Formats: sequence, structure tokens, C-alpha cells
Amino acid sequence: MSKPHYDREHHVKKATGIGDPQCFKGEAPAARFKVGDKVRIKDLPDLFYTRTQGYTRGAEGTISRLVYESPPAEDESWDNTENVEWFYSLVFDMQELWPNYPEAYAGDTVETEIPEHYLEAV
Amino acid sequence: MTDINPDFIELDKQMSDRELDSSPIELLEKIKQEGRVWDELSEEYGVDNPDPPWRISLEATCDGLAGGYWAPFNICLPEEERQPVMADDNKIDSNERRWEEDKLVDQHYADVPFPERQLLALAHTMIRRGMISEDELAKHMKAVDERLHMADGLDD
Amino acid sequence: MSSNDKEHLHPPAPVVDEVSDFEVLEIAVRELAIEKGLFTQEDHNQWTDYMHTLGPAPAARLVAKAWLDPEYKKVCVEDGVKASLDVGIDWVNTMPTKFGTPSDYCNLRVMEDTPTLKHVVVCTLCSCYPRPILGQSPEWYRTPNYRRRIVRWPRQVLAEFGLQLPEDVEIRVVDSNQKSRMIVLPVRPEGTEGWTEDQLAEIVTRDCLIGVAVPKPGVTANGKRPVRPAVNPYKH
Repeated sequence: MSKPHYDREHHVKKATGIGDPQCFKGEAPAARFKVGDKVRIKDLPDLFYTRTQGYTRGAEGTISRLVYESPPAEDESWDNTENVEWFYSLVFDMQELWPNYPEAYAGDTVETEIPEHYLEAV
Repeated sequence: MTDINPDFIELDKQMSDRELDSSPIELLEKIKQEGRVWDELSEEYGVDNPDPPWRISLEATCDGLAGGYWAPFNICLPEEERQPVMADDNKIDSNERRWEEDKLVDQHYADVPFPERQLLALAHTMIRRGMISEDELAKHMKAVDERLHMADGLDD
Repeated sequence: MSSNDKEHLHPPAPVVDEVSDFEVLEIAVRELAIEKGLFTQEDHNQWTDYMHTLGPAPAARLVAKAWLDPEYKKVCVEDGVKASLDVGIDWVNTMPTKFGTPSDYCNLRVMEDTPTLKHVVVCTLCSCYPRPILGQSPEWYRTPNYRRRIVRWPRQVLAEFGLQLPEDVEIRVVDSNQKSRMIVLPVRPEGTEGWTEDQLAEIVTRDCLIGVAVPKPGVTANGKRPVRPAVNPYKH
């Protein structure tokens, strides 16, 4: 019996002794956004897998840090590591994300990471 | 798209060319039919741990047989630093073990859940490679079984 | 023992009270391999120990060091992976795999609390957790109950953990959704002036590092629990 061949180890070979996401360092095009920028999360269609939470889609957030370069999970889950891009840590106001979040706690926030192709300038 | 790693085509060729005896092993067939798997035991006793208690120990055994936990990634090393793939009779390279596990599961253990199937495939590989004999394993299992049941009846 | 006594006892957690052929096979294969010198008991212990001894101790040490050394604190916040080296955790090479598996990516962020900002960590999409530095995650961290609600009603959920924060403290829920793993660097509590690193590390419990508790002098993971006399003592 024969099984299809595929390279189960290419990620291991790339990342061993270096780490992931460190192994993608330097592969992304120049970052389009900087710390302090206000951005909106695009509600892009995703096939079967995404790590961009539903609750962030359409919301506006502020970039707090450029965290690392990596292929987006939406590609990597299909073993496609060609499109390395910058990942950003973003801070969202709770009131922006949820209806009726109490005014008394207007300062409460969520921080989470989103890859660049989901972001558009506000 | 991603190309097929030539190392793996080579591994597959080497492994296939060995024409390893693929017949069933009586002792392991008996365990396959009579042994109670963790899915069944945990349900019966109402235990919610998804893995049997020996799971980590089995992983360590596989890694030990590969020559330490760095060896599974032998294939990632530059050519000159790699350990010989087939030469050392006392080792089972992890890629080889996985390759054999796939074949053996297809042939004999498709109905056995994980990780019981990994254990059966490992024992199968070790017997067919001549690292241990079927008789020897049966004898040692009997000794272990007796040891584990030594306390039976004492605390009733 | 009368049936009446039985009703007052907690039933023990269930165990599989049966030795399976597979359990015996695993032991037999391992012992034969060791007997034949294919590997040693020490090799075997090294791997199993690694899996079993992961725990929150290195992260607690990191926090204690950061409280005592402002320069080190800067490193923690800037580069958690680098800061981890000082507490014995190499995010790449400590793991047996040496590269970080999808469940253990190699990026640590240390989220610094201030007197007016409190971080709490969750993974709403699954249960990502900084295992190399914090060990296995607690059961509740993986429940949909915690994952869904902390991001939506953080004050209510924290109150359920016994942590009630005043209005002037802002909460920041950190949702660990990609390749970073997070721990919280809490504010050093009052009453710890002059303490040593060892003393400080003791009060940084796992829950403090996830962010559902704050450190308090006298509250440690290993602290002695109070022993109270039984209400209905057993009669001989």
C-alpha cells in the first residue's frame, strides 16, 4: 500500500534550536502600522480555521506593540508558510466590544494579537 | 506549494525495500483481542483522565529507543552530524518507528485506539527487528502481571 | 462501619481498579529494553521527570526578581523569553522538542500590573497557557465557562475568584490567541518591605501569575492549611 508523501518535518527543520515564531524573523515586509495607531479589524471570510476572534471583527483598537513576524494561523493551519507578516498586539475598550458594558468601568480593556492583513487604518 | 522532502522519499524507499515480515504476532493478537483499552476502562470506572497512566512512560521508552530525546530530530541535522539511519541495531529512529507504526496499524491494529496501538506497534517492531523475542516478552509479561497482583486479597 | 457512618464520608475520586494487559505490556517492553541496555533507567527518568515537574516556580521567581531589580523588570516587559533565561527557562531548548510545538510557541510576554491596571490572562479560542514557565494549566482555565465569561464580564468572574477590584483599577483581559503566551507581573504588595527573593517568590502563586488573584503576605501555595476538629468525630 502506498501513502501520499508530504514533508511532515519542514517546520521542525526550520525551527529547531531557534524557536517559533523566532524562525520567521526578518521574513515579513515592512510593517504598515506603528504603536499608537488606531485600526479596525476587517471581517474577512475564513475557510474552516481562524484565530481572529469573532468579537474583535469590526471593532476599533489601538496598537500597543509589534510582537513578532509569522505566517497567519489561517494559512499555517494549511501548512502554507509563504506569507509571513507582522503581528500586532491591540488594545480594545470593553465598551467598543460589548453592548451595555457599564459606564463605571469604561477603562476596562481587552488586549489580543492580530496579524496585519486583518487591519485597516481608521 | 510545499515540495515533498526528499529525505522522506528516501526513508520510505529504504523502509519498503527491507520487506519486513508483516505477519501477525500471536502474543500481540491475543492482547489486541483480550486487553481492555483505556477508553473502555475509564468509562467503566468513571475516570475522566483522557490518557492511560502509562502514556508518558511509553513516550519516554520510544525516545529512549531513539537514543535520547534529541534523536527524533536526527533528520534535521546536517548530513555529517546525523547518526546512521539503519546501522545501529540497538536503536529505533523515530521516523522509522512512525513509518512502521503507520504500516502495522493499517495491517493489524486499525481497530485499536491510541495510545494502545502505538504500544502494540512498538512491541511488534521490536520483535520483528530481533531486539526482543516473542517468548521472552510473554514470559516477562507474566512476571510483571504476577508482581502487580501480589497484593491482591491482602486488603479485603 | 455502619451505613450511617458511610453517608458522612466523601466518596474517594474514582480510579481504574484493574490492571490491563496493555499496562503490563508497557512495563514489560520498558523493562526488557532497559535490561538489554537499549537505554538506561536514567534516560527514561529524564524525560518523564521533565513532563511531571513543570510548575509555576520559575515564573514566581521571575516576578520576585523583577520586584527587587528595576533593570530586570524592564527586560521582563521588553523580552519575556530573554528574562526567562535568568530563572532557568530557555523557551526553545528547555522543551524536549527544541523548537516549540504548536501548543508551546516560544514567545512569552510579561504583562505588568500597576496600582490602577490589573491584567488577567485567558485563551478564549482554546486553552493556550505558558507551560514551560507555569506548568500544566488548572482545570478551570480550560473550561468554556471561564473562557467565555472572563472576556465579557471580567469583574463578575474575578469576584467569583474572591478578587474584587475597586472602580479606579482598570481591568485588562489578555486573550492569548496567537503565538504569545502571557504571565502577569502583579504589583508588589505592602507588608513585604525588606523581604528576600525567596520570601517574595513564595507568595507569587499560580493564580497570581494568571491574574485571578493578587499576592498577599502569608498566602502561599505551600502554606499550611488550618486543621479544625471534626464536628462529628469518629467514635471508637
